[in-house]
Amino acid sequence: MAVRHVTTRARIKTWPAKAARILPLLLARCFSVAALLAAWEILARSGIFTPFQLPPFSAVVLRIWNDGAAGDLWINLALTLYRALAAFAICVLAGVAVGTAMSRSGLARWFFDPIVSVGFPMPKIAFLPVVILWLGVYDLSKITMAVIDAIFPVIAATVIGIQGVERELIWSARNMGASERDLLRQVVLPAALPQIMTGLQVALPLALIVTVVAEMLMGGYGLGGAMMTASRFANSTGVFAGIVEIAALGYALVKAMSLIRRRLLAWHPEAHAPSTV
Amino acid sequence: MAAPAQILLENVSHVYRPVRGREVLALDQVSLQVANREFVALLGPSGCGKSTLLYLIGGFLPVEAGSITVDGKKVTGPGPDRGIVFQHFALFPWKTVRGNILYGLERQGMPKAEREKRAQDFIELVGLHGFEDSYPSQLSGGMKQRTAIARTLAFDPAILLMDEPFGALDAQTRGLMQAELMRIFQRTPKTVIFVTHDVQEAVYLADRVAVMSARPGRIKTIVDTKFDKKAENIFKERVFVEKVDEIWHLVREEAIKAQGRRST
Ligand SMILES: Nc1ncnc2c1ncn2[C@@H]1O[C@H](COP(=O)(O)OP(=O)(O)OP(=O)(O)O)[C@@H](O)[C@H]1O
Ligand SMILES: [Mg+2]
Repeated sequence: MAVRHVTTRARIKTWPAKAARILPLLLARCFSVAALLAAWEILARSGIFTPFQLPPFSAVVLRIWNDGAAGDLWINLALTLYRALAAFAICVLAGVAVGTAMSRSGLARWFFDPIVSVGFPMPKIAFLPVVILWLGVYDLSKITMAVIDAIFPVIAATVIGIQGVERELIWSARNMGASERDLLRQVVLPAALPQIMTGLQVALPLALIVTVVAEMLMGGYGLGGAMMTASRFANSTGVFAGIVEIAALGYALVKAMSLIRRRLLAWHPEAHAPSTV
Repeated sequence: MAAPAQILLENVSHVYRPVRGREVLALDQVSLQVANREFVALLGPSGCGKSTLLYLIGGFLPVEAGSITVDGKKVTGPGPDRGIVFQHFALFPWKTVRGNILYGLERQGMPKAEREKRAQDFIELVGLHGFEDSYPSQLSGGMKQRTAIARTLAFDPAILLMDEPFGALDAQTRGLMQAELMRIFQRTPKTVIFVTHDVQEAVYLADRVAVMSARPGRIKTIVDTKFDKKAENIFKERVFVEKVDEIWHLVREEAIKAQGRRST
């Protein structure tokens, strides 16, 4: 009890000190972005560019605000988010499953290895016409495009992660009575998790990027589609609003992913190091 | 020897065949008998195949030449009857100290309350009280080693294969752990094969000390070290010092051979 009392007091005492330490860091981290936005605003108002070429940042913010009030923003945001996350979820399940199968069965490796080797470096956007022909231009085809692109890093990371599991870890589990079935869930996948998470951290932004590109090329609702519509109506503020929205969404997703990583890998030595992103 | 052999190795050889690089004959025609409840220490220069020998008995590597039987049955795979403490601990890094120790007890289907208590007992035993919820990455080398020892002792295997279990400990902790180990074996006798580089430790703990030759590993000599070790100052007694000296010379010869080959 006494111990807890002391630590609580210590925490209260150091809290302002901690804030004083973190705040400048936070400002410093935002500084480059803030400077960029300020430069944008100044440049746009300097008369070098017409408002059509480069609308001021303040006008773009106002436009986003109005879209938010009208409700369009939320529909587009929700649709893009839904497509990207649905694709990501499929990549997690299918990618880890395929990667696991490849590392554990010679047959699966024989079958999937050439597909991965050819498919990973290939520009998958080339499949777009085929996917449109087969699946149309709605959610299904957009999600499919994102899956085709984002699944490869997950498969590769899973294969590499599982290959890197120390044999002594598996031996010690078997020594303590783990069955073959226990091994995969209780030892192999947890041991490979740091690598798999790295693959997922690559896959998530990729899923978002391809979703937006697919929306731009196929049209309809969604952030990408809305940008193309704005562009078609020569609404440059609308186009720049789309860029800002996509940047913000991407940042939020990447940040959320790194928080999840820290939670899941609390046991990993990296968790004790100060965060960088 | 009167007692029947519990672990019987006959002409066991082992060749490592890496995917790349040359083959290594790690063990060459090793024969060894270990009686029920006997404590055998294994000494030999680095790289002579001590770990390999334990892996074969543990059933982790396939026995390709010769035969290994435990309790009369051929070894075909790992089993909880042969508990191993790995040289490099092999703790699950995603589990806490407690979680690591509980794992084997869970696999045995021990009831929850019982296994919690047993895990706590062994945590206290190896002096890790207060670190139950630490992850291996937060522990020192010696603490990891003690966790690994507790984890294996906790599921109470009849045979213990220990690969330099005290290698990462300071002299004091090592002495305490040795005494603790002897106490445990008095309560629940076990058959032990114990790899060490410390000749004193080997003579103090073991009934017999097997000295291995430089690679390819063979059993060079077996020295009987079963005598009364209860005396207060056993480490200074003449029998003890003489045994240590004898074994030390045997080991040194092999170490020089291994060294010489490395430099040519
Ligand atoms: N996975 C492996 N692949 C190829 N060769 C190996 C492998 N593991 C061990 N060896 C070789 O087998 C020999 C015996 O190795 P082992 O680990 O059994 O030695 P050791 O006696 O335990 O050594 P140490 O005292 O240093 O732990 C070594 O010379 C090593 O080169
Ligand atoms: Mg070894």
